[in-house]
Amino acid sequence: MIIAYKEKGEIMSTHINNLVEDKLKKIKEEKNVFDTGKVIRLKDYIIEVSGLENVAFFEKVIIRGKGMGYVNEIKENSVTVAVVKETSPIEIGDTVNTTGERFRAIFAEEAMGRVTDLFGIDLLTGRAFEKFKYIDIERPIVPIMDRTAVNRPMQTGVAGIDLIYPIGRGQRQLIIGDKKTGKTQLALDAIVNQGKIIKEKSNKNDIVCIYIAVGKTKKEIKNIYNELLKRNALSYTTIVAATNDDKTTVLSLIPYVGLSIAEEYMDQKKDVLVVIDDLKRHAEAYREISLVSNKAPGREAYPADIFFLHSRLLEKGCQHKNGGSITILPIVETKGGDITDYISTNIISITDGQIVLSENQFRKGQKPAINYGISVSRLGGAVQTPEMKKLGANIRRELLSYLETKEVYELANIDEMSPELREKMRKGKEIEKALRQHKFSPLSQEEIQERFKALGEDAK
Amino acid sequence: MKGVDRTMEKTTKAVKNKANEKKTNVNASENKISEDKIIGKIIGISELNVKILLFENNVKINDILVYREGDEVRKFEVVQIDNNIASTVPFDRVIGLKKGGSVELQEGGLKIQYSDEILGKVFNPYGGLIDHSTIKKVQERNVYSRKLSFKEININNEPLWTGIKALDFFAPLQKGFKMGLLGGAGVGKTVLIKEIINNVYKRLKSNAVFIGIGERSREGKELIDEMEESKLLDKMSMVFGQMGENPCSRSKSVYSGLTLAEYLRDEKDQDVLVFIDNIYRFIQAKSEISTEMKRVPIENGYPTTMVSDITDVEERINSTENGSITSFQAIYIPADDITDEAVQAVTTHLDGQVVLDRKVAEKGLYPAINVFKTNSKSVDPEIVGEKHYELVQETLRYLARYEELEEIIAVLGIDELSEEDKMIFFRSRKLRNYFTQPMFVSENYTGIKGVMVDIKDTLIDVEAIINGEYDDVDESKLLFRGSLHE
Repeated sequence: MIIAYKEKGEIMSTHINNLVEDKLKKIKEEKNVFDTGKVIRLKDYIIEVSGLENVAFFEKVIIRGKGMGYVNEIKENSVTVAVVKETSPIEIGDTVNTTGERFRAIFAEEAMGRVTDLFGIDLLTGRAFEKFKYIDIERPIVPIMDRTAVNRPMQTGVAGIDLIYPIGRGQRQLIIGDKKTGKTQLALDAIVNQGKIIKEKSNKNDIVCIYIAVGKTKKEIKNIYNELLKRNALSYTTIVAATNDDKTTVLSLIPYVGLSIAEEYMDQKKDVLVVIDDLKRHAEAYREISLVSNKAPGREAYPADIFFLHSRLLEKGCQHKNGGSITILPIVETKGGDITDYISTNIISITDGQIVLSENQFRKGQKPAINYGISVSRLGGAVQTPEMKKLGANIRRELLSYLETKEVYELANIDEMSPELREKMRKGKEIEKALRQHKFSPLSQEEIQERFKALGEDAK
Repeated sequence: MKGVDRTMEKTTKAVKNKANEKKTNVNASENKISEDKIIGKIIGISELNVKILLFENNVKINDILVYREGDEVRKFEVVQIDNNIASTVPFDRVIGLKKGGSVELQEGGLKIQYSDEILGKVFNPYGGLIDHSTIKKVQERNVYSRKLSFKEININNEPLWTGIKALDFFAPLQKGFKMGLLGGAGVGKTVLIKEIINNVYKRLKSNAVFIGIGERSREGKELIDEMEESKLLDKMSMVFGQMGENPCSRSKSVYSGLTLAEYLRDEKDQDVLVFIDNIYRFIQAKSEISTEMKRVPIENGYPTTMVSDITDVEERINSTENGSITSFQAIYIPADDITDEAVQAVTTHLDGQVVLDRKVAEKGLYPAINVFKTNSKSVDPEIVGEKHYELVQETLRYLARYEELEEIIAVLGIDELSEEDKMIFFRSRKLRNYFTQPMFVSENYTGIKGVMVDIKDTLIDVEAIINGEYDDVDESKLLFRGSLHE
């Protein structure tokens, strides 16, 4: 532009001089290329700012000297900003600057084996990663036609899963249960087992795990870090964390950031395993923000788009046609073993199956405490090897029929039962026993087949 | 909570484009809205609501306004007009959008192809093709325009069998029926609808439209692949607005899909099958939009206009003199609450319904049908015949008593039952097991081959079980098989 103007001669050059002077004057007044506004209303972490005329939706803004946020609504005379970072209390009249760029997260390869937050800070050292690139917090979803069938096994090393309710690469399998029933443990088992698979394979860089902590305490996260460290799982695992005391806005964004990182790896044709711990907390954080922003509450006071919040997140799990995949194991905490509450059923209706953990099983020492009656895998045999599929179908049928019969004949005298029925009960008990497994003791597919071979053989 | 959308890609493209333009001296004004076409300016933006100040008053509800800047095109649909300010719903995410942008009016509103070429194609909710195919003959039609008059509607009576025992027995179908498949999360709605596609569409080879609303993309892709592999896509058109897409997309796929079905019925005089998975998601998408418009919700956050919204859609799914539309509509039951207003609003329109129950699914009995809530207008001696009707009544009587007995047994044990109750108890369990069926579409999962059962065989078997002919057969022998007497 400037060159073009210059060619037009002197009149233009005076014009340019004027423009430059104007700009300099503005810069001196601290009103440079970017807009400046003032905070006019405060409501928790949602603030209203006037004066930002040329700001874009979801643009990053700086509350000078005090924090950072993003634009979440543009109104006729003001904009609403969701604050994500606040170093000292924001007051009315504080200056807010636009930045001209979208609010983004960062992707750093060196975050492997570390604990990172939304802003790309290594929480273990408190320092920012040096080599990184900016990534969108939420990328557009993978179009239908770019997906292919989910049919490769994602082995967890847990017999109750790999054999009975198998998970495939690109599947979204929910882990749901009450407090203290071993939900996180099951996910960690799956992560640790990936190490075993990597060892067996020659190309080591194919599998990446991402553990996303939503509103966990620092202590819990450190614990998980140590557990994974002890089992050499950190060479292929990143922990992306929003701690309990982070801003609620950060909690609501963190799963998207984790998945965005996963998508970067999927682009590199890798198989990514993502654990989100947990989505109930995430839903609560989002509900809080919605209510603070005056959105109308719906069922259980959750906003109308609570389904969309999780559907577009979990739809990122897929088998991409490029060969890479994202498997997601979201975790949901229930109360009183009820999986039919609003959030749980919403998520169940999105995922490709669920592993239900029950307190009852846990108490009886049946660990992992999977409730085989109500757990489901919608992909089932499609993601198993032929041997596992055949064996798994037999064992599952035997087990389910045993559980159902047990319920009805609980009070009947076992000696008066038909021999067929007695045999069924005996076998059912055997299967239950064989499914018991200690934490961090993954079984290979061969070991599983060995263990269940006899039990699956003479089944119908 | 906001995400980031395609803008990044778009802006980089736009920048590149601009660079190219400079090189080749192409006039950039083509990609800008010319002054005389500007109809309004953007004055407010939130996730699902873009406010536009209108300069002219020829804008109506459902009109589409377009913002264009270089390569970046954004579309908005008008849902409300207050004086000179229109509230619009963006077709896509709005990240990066700024105040002050000019918009123009798109002639004709939301349109979709209306020709023979729709068959075998896959569309997005806005009528665009997503399967990388092209349509040569452009003939379009607005997706909202068709309304049936009272005179046009035809009530057809020909029976339609699905080969699924439980469905044909408890909820027999007729051509032109609206059949609902209700169920909570993960009890097998999608499997059942796929099995019906397999059994009915494959057998009849009549034209069909599949409308995906707010369901899994994985399942959508699998369905497309399966249809292609078995060379069945040639008579089916598909429209997908899946769960990862914004509520505007999700709410539109039903209108676009129905417009395609109407073409087949009205212009081609066809009997059309329409599969909708899942109609509940349509109401859900509407609630999301309504909330963003700050309208007052009714119970559970549903939009005030819920009943009229669903009626508008359902009244279009009807048969005329020319052709019939038989529809299968999956209906999600939120929080397993069948009294949910949205679910009730849809079921009012149905001629029959199959209710899937978590308690049955937990026992591993599939299809997990709750026989007491499953029904159809055809269960009538005048339609299905005296025998079928009587057997349904008798079976229900057995199963109702069985439920009572189960409670007694939980306390006293089986031994305490009277001889007659014992007989009912065991025969009921056999009936229950008999109505399980291996499905073609879940062969991969169960490892058992799917079967289709003729209704005549089902009637013979049920009668035999009730008459005690299978009393000495172990009940597990009746699980997951076709007819018994062959």
